[in-house]
Amino acid sequence: MNKNNSLLSQIARQLTWKRFLFSMTMIFFLTSILFPFYWMVSSSFKTKAEIGGREPVYVPASFNLEAYKELLDPNHPSYQAFGNNILNTIKVSVPTALITVIMAVLGSYAIARLRFRGKELLLNSILIVYLFPGVLLIIPLFAMLSQIGSVLGFTVQDNLGVLMFTYLAQTLPVALYMLTNYFRTIPDEIEQAALIDGCTRIQVIWKVTLPLAVPALISVGIYTFMIAWNEFLYAMVFLNNRFLFTMPIKINTIFNDPTPRPNVVMAASTIMTIPIMILFLAMEKYLTEGLAAGGVKG
Amino acid sequence: MAKTVRNSRTAVGNNEVGLAWKLISPTAIIVFSLVVFPAFFSIWVSFHDVGLHNLNNVFKAPFVGWQNYQQVINDYAFKFQSLENLGATVTSIIYAFSATTLAILLGLVASLLLNTTFKGRGLARAIFLFPYVAPIVSIAFVWRWILDPRTSGVLNDILLRLNLIEAPQAYLATRGLSLLIVILLDAWRYFPFAMLMILARLQAVDRTLYEAAKVDGAGAVQQFFAITLPELRFVIGSTYLLRLMWTFNKFDDIFLYTGGGFGTKTLPVLTYEFSFRLYDFGRGAATAMILLTILAVFMSVYVMTVMRKVDN
Repeated sequence: MNKNNSLLSQIARQLTWKRFLFSMTMIFFLTSILFPFYWMVSSSFKTKAEIGGREPVYVPASFNLEAYKELLDPNHPSYQAFGNNILNTIKVSVPTALITVIMAVLGSYAIARLRFRGKELLLNSILIVYLFPGVLLIIPLFAMLSQIGSVLGFTVQDNLGVLMFTYLAQTLPVALYMLTNYFRTIPDEIEQAALIDGCTRIQVIWKVTLPLAVPALISVGIYTFMIAWNEFLYAMVFLNNRFLFTMPIKINTIFNDPTPRPNVVMAASTIMTIPIMILFLAMEKYLTEGLAAGGVKG
Repeated sequence: MAKTVRNSRTAVGNNEVGLAWKLISPTAIIVFSLVVFPAFFSIWVSFHDVGLHNLNNVFKAPFVGWQNYQQVINDYAFKFQSLENLGATVTSIIYAFSATTLAILLGLVASLLLNTTFKGRGLARAIFLFPYVAPIVSIAFVWRWILDPRTSGVLNDILLRLNLIEAPQAYLATRGLSLLIVILLDAWRYFPFAMLMILARLQAVDRTLYEAAKVDGAGAVQQFFAITLPELRFVIGSTYLLRLMWTFNKFDDIFLYTGGGFGTKTLPVLTYEFSFRLYDFGRGAATAMILLTILAVFMSVYVMTVMRKVDN
């Protein structure tokens, strides 16, 4: 009792209006940010009865896996084969990230370090392209690729390779922009020393610059991976076959199903979100800097 | 100093220009063929009758002059008709400006919050970034489930219990209200970007300025308006413009929240509908061109103010 009293008076003594304002704003931000995430994960564990009742259930009675079974268990009556969609997303996003990083390293190194004509024009056009709307490019890309496809004999729709190729249009400008900025922060003197020691440019890039740029490469790789992982519009336009759907398109399809099953939609969203959040939390240090540098357009 | 380094570099590698082009050509070819060429090609498409029927032979599509543009401009979904029916252009502009303003304001508050020292600050910063990092598809469907129009929707349940509303609301399916909700959701999702930009600048503000102000007897509010805000002017301005352009271009968010219905049809959604619902690519491209024209105004402001300042 006595202890309690002293605690209360201690709180009262420390409670200035400034602290009060701080705590209130903090609580406002934290609840409005965390509640949707709580709602997503908790809803994914709700039973049909809990999700379809007249009133919302705030805490599910148990970790019910019904929704996850519908997504992943072949024995479920309305099995969604979501495993396929996870795999498709990986098949598109991992190569996108790898190809983007490799090509962007070469390109941005040339822009940052070497002198050649047309460099400024190239850099500025990349910056302008960065501000272009995705909907603007998808029409000509679709028309252009259909044309090329009919000549070379590949189909444009339902072709994960073509989809990945179009993702490069979104990821390369970002990656070039970020890596160029990064290479410019590595002091030129280090490379000059290696060049004077008799290394060739390629050796310098491979042995000196790249090891120094590892943090930037990781963050650019993760960003481009995330862009491809989350991408919605291009996947929706280019994919018709539900076995080839990436996760975002599949989740959209489940949501628009005539029998609404929010728990299944939430389970699928949880599966899609968790890897991204883990990546983000594990690599936060690298990623935050990249974010501030305009890493993710959106 | 810089000059001598440059000279020595030219002396070391005479074939640098060749190497530069070799390094950059794969990227340049892809960027050119996937971005630069399509951008110009869409101008061409906007003046031709391109649909599914001639998609495989697109270069033979008939020239139709300004017809696509006329069709777009006279479309009831495009032009302003009344306050109840704003049309895609006005909706886009309202949406972009208000969502950006709100996101920047929230970002400013959040960054001031995180610029103080307290336990768990690193964790708080990571959590504040969640809305921006999580996939938009998951985010959109969680919010749609929270805002569910039935009594089983959690927001309806809370507001009914608090007696703030008398009947459940269809938040994303009511003209007017939907646009407001979409703007709020956008601010919720994108404030962390503004927060990071402003926070980075805040941490670079010279601490001695505040100490001097304290000595002069300035309170917290005075310090904010006399020191902090002027120091942040540039970063707020540039972030605002960048976010404004990105929001103006946004397709996913609105499409996933409302499908462009109930007075939330913006120009990107309209472009999509013309192209991939009606399969009238010419009309879609014309809409995109109109979008780009408006965007060009924002872009030139950005280039003239922000980029010029960065160069200096």
